[in-house]
Amino acid sequence: MTQELPEVSVSPTRKVFLSGASVVWIIPLLALVAALFVAWQSFNARGPLIVIEFENGSGIKASETELRYRDVTVGVVEKVGFSEGLERVTASVRLDKEVAPFVDAGAVFWVVEPEVTAQGITGLSTVLSGVYIEASWDDFPGPAANRFQGASEAPLIRPGQSGLEIAFRTAANGELTDNAPILFKGIEVGRVGRARIAPRGNFAIVEALIYDEHRHLINGSTRFWDTSGFSVNIGPAGAEIDFSSIATLVGGGITFDTFVSGGGVVQDGTVFDVFPDKESARNSLFNASAVDPLQISVIFDDNISGLAVGAPVELSGLKIGEVESISGLVNVDQFGDSRVRLNANLSIQPARLGLPGDVSAENALTFLESRVVAGLRARLASASLLTGGLKVELVMVEDAPTARLRDDGTNLPVMPTTKNETSDAAATVEGVFTRINNLPIEELLNSAITFLDSAEYLISNEDLLNTPADVRGLLGELQGLVSSTDVQNIPVSLNATLVRVETLVAQLEQERVAAKLSAALDGAASAAGAIETSVEGVPALIAQIEAVAAKAETLAVDELITELTALTQSVDRVVGTDDAVALPGSLKRALDEVNYTLQELREGGAIENVNQTLASARNAADSIAVSAQDLPQIVDRLTQLFAQASRTIQGYDKGDQLSRSVQDALRDIQKAADALGSLARTIERNPNSLLLGR
Amino acid sequence: MVSMASSGTSQNILSARALGIVACQRCTKAAPLGTRTCDRCGHKLQSRDPMSLQRVWAYWFVGLLCYIPANVYPMLKTQTLFSTDESTIIGGAVELAHHGAFGIAAIILIASVVIPLAKFWAVAYLAVSVTQPTRVSNQRRQFIYEIVEYIGRWSMIDIFVVAILSALVQLKTLASINPGPASIFFALSVIFTMLSAQAFDSRMIWDVQTKRDSAT
Repeated sequence: MTQELPEVSVSPTRKVFLSGASVVWIIPLLALVAALFVAWQSFNARGPLIVIEFENGSGIKASETELRYRDVTVGVVEKVGFSEGLERVTASVRLDKEVAPFVDAGAVFWVVEPEVTAQGITGLSTVLSGVYIEASWDDFPGPAANRFQGASEAPLIRPGQSGLEIAFRTAANGELTDNAPILFKGIEVGRVGRARIAPRGNFAIVEALIYDEHRHLINGSTRFWDTSGFSVNIGPAGAEIDFSSIATLVGGGITFDTFVSGGGVVQDGTVFDVFPDKESARNSLFNASAVDPLQISVIFDDNISGLAVGAPVELSGLKIGEVESISGLVNVDQFGDSRVRLNANLSIQPARLGLPGDVSAENALTFLESRVVAGLRARLASASLLTGGLKVELVMVEDAPTARLRDDGTNLPVMPTTKNETSDAAATVEGVFTRINNLPIEELLNSAITFLDSAEYLISNEDLLNTPADVRGLLGELQGLVSSTDVQNIPVSLNATLVRVETLVAQLEQERVAAKLSAALDGAASAAGAIETSVEGVPALIAQIEAVAAKAETLAVDELITELTALTQSVDRVVGTDDAVALPGSLKRALDEVNYTLQELREGGAIENVNQTLASARNAADSIAVSAQDLPQIVDRLTQLFAQASRTIQGYDKGDQLSRSVQDALRDIQKAADALGSLARTIERNPNSLLLGR
Repeated sequence: MVSMASSGTSQNILSARALGIVACQRCTKAAPLGTRTCDRCGHKLQSRDPMSLQRVWAYWFVGLLCYIPANVYPMLKTQTLFSTDESTIIGGAVELAHHGAFGIAAIILIASVVIPLAKFWAVAYLAVSVTQPTRVSNQRRQFIYEIVEYIGRWSMIDIFVVAILSALVQLKTLASINPGPASIFFALSVIFTMLSAQAFDSRMIWDVQTKRDSAT
């Protein structure tokens, strides 16, 4: 055993390197091979690095933001930095190897961000995940490129997307909405891209895509029009509001129709006009001549308001075109000062000129050039006195200063001008409006309001309301007077007095003093006459009352009421006087006195007293006679008065109708006042309405 | 073995080999030198394992190889509703330190970086020290070896944490934690380091002592 020891210690060192190596070395070798393989593979699978430049970073993050093609990740942003001079943001993207050959110069890159528009919400997924870069390229490998300009938004037509590519141009006075859908019978059949303004600034142009499955809808006679916004039509059929959808109401849209058959097949790149509405689109189809219009421009020295786009251009009263656009123009080099001039671009339809031979814009230009040399000038003229609108007239001017139709090739040919012929209709209209404005409407309304207030006060006056009550009171008092016991007792007293007088006369006859009695009776007669004259006033008063009553009957109601009031008061006064009340009392007292005197005569028998007594008796008898005479009259008058009063009361009963009429009248007045009030308020709120008439 | 190491303070330790004995490494039964197999347990008897160092180095290299991607690739993939976060071992520790959790950052750094590296160094040193003269005493080297052996199993604690987190935090889209590729490499690295340490025949430590002693 011990002899083998040296062999054991020596033999491993002497052996060949590999034979002494442990099997375990295979493990690190395998690990190494595996590591190298993985390294090589990952290096091999690594695509090229491309650099995309963007306007801003917009959320791109290194090693996080993905590059997607058709929504499949084909790369990752490795680095975000700046281009030289910090002008743009560069994103270095490591492409997948399999797509790398396709990323050629035609590739388009844009950042997909959440976006909320009238057409909807897009890129919602990026709210949580963060933005990503979307790429688009065609299906053919091309020469590799490694630097790209990122687009600010998704391109309308992506490579590989098929469809009819057309362009839209605004017609005169038209508008374009970019990124709008193209609708046909409410179905989106295409899409409009980002609009841009033509280099000359006279129209906007936008490219559009009609999806492949709908391209047969478009042909040469198809007309497009704008459906954005809404239109309101007020006509005999009532008001009509028209808009195609909420989306187009907000975001705009374009629709189309083919009004006539027979349009040719449309090729990619055809330019269509977009008309403001369906009517003009349809009209354009029937009016349009096959020739492109001639565009010329006219520069007016004065800034004259009233010339609008679409205003007619007339030659000898014939409309040959219209104003396509208007703009200000400042050109120190050309005019020598820095005044703003009015530059109007005219679109002249050569077909309207009736040119011989070939109808084309060039021909029309040649024609106009020759006419300008002969003195044809452009000027502004009033198109309408009412609106103050202007039109452009081409007129021949005698001995005009020499001028030519300038055409330098780049800008539009410029037509020389002459003195404008515009009326001052605007000024006149303005004067009218000023006068209307100065009308004392405020004062008028104030007076009306005051008048109505007074009328209301008068009608609701308490005196007027109390008048019937007064009349009733008066009648009551009259009745009380007539039925008073004093008046009723007058005949009884008279009767008694006459009996005594009779006995007295019989005594006198016995004492043969008839002669004296006769004289006394004469005196009594004269006294009675005097009394008669003294009470003449009563019939006059009654006559007056009667007259008043008669008059009151004929008077109008309002006058009647006033008269009645006055009459009532005066009658009241008359009846209420102590004298009138005391009249029956006095009569009674006088009779009593006569009675007493006769008694004394009879009892005393003193002849010397007879004269005195007879004198008294004469007075009393006169009074009695008068009283007796007048009593039936008084009763008659009273009857009349009663009748009168009754009629008046009846008349007053009709007052129900009257008051209804008055109420109606008041209501009408009230309405009128309300109407005036609202008119006043309207005018107060919007003074312009008076001027503008609405 | 442990008691042997701690008690071995004497300068001249007699090796079994010098006595012409070989001990079975499985059942510790002693047999005369030259015996091929243990007659008790049937284990192969070797006084010294000549391939030991080769195995040590082979495993050591694989371990080190695996340790590189373990640090380069992310250890944890944390997915929340809005973001995906991938953090490497060191990156995660630095991030924790930024948030003020210095203690946890230190634990991670020690458990995942310092200890593995120290193990690499220790195994390499031991492997070198048995062929080269060294100043460090045999007892100390034996002690280092025992520490390496002992600590080896605890290195898997990182993997353990990752496994627990991945199993617990799986709330669909709301939040989820998944192990990154680094976890596999880290586990491999730990496994190979342990294999490397086990492959080391610690008896060789004492042979060097003998050599030196005999040299001097």
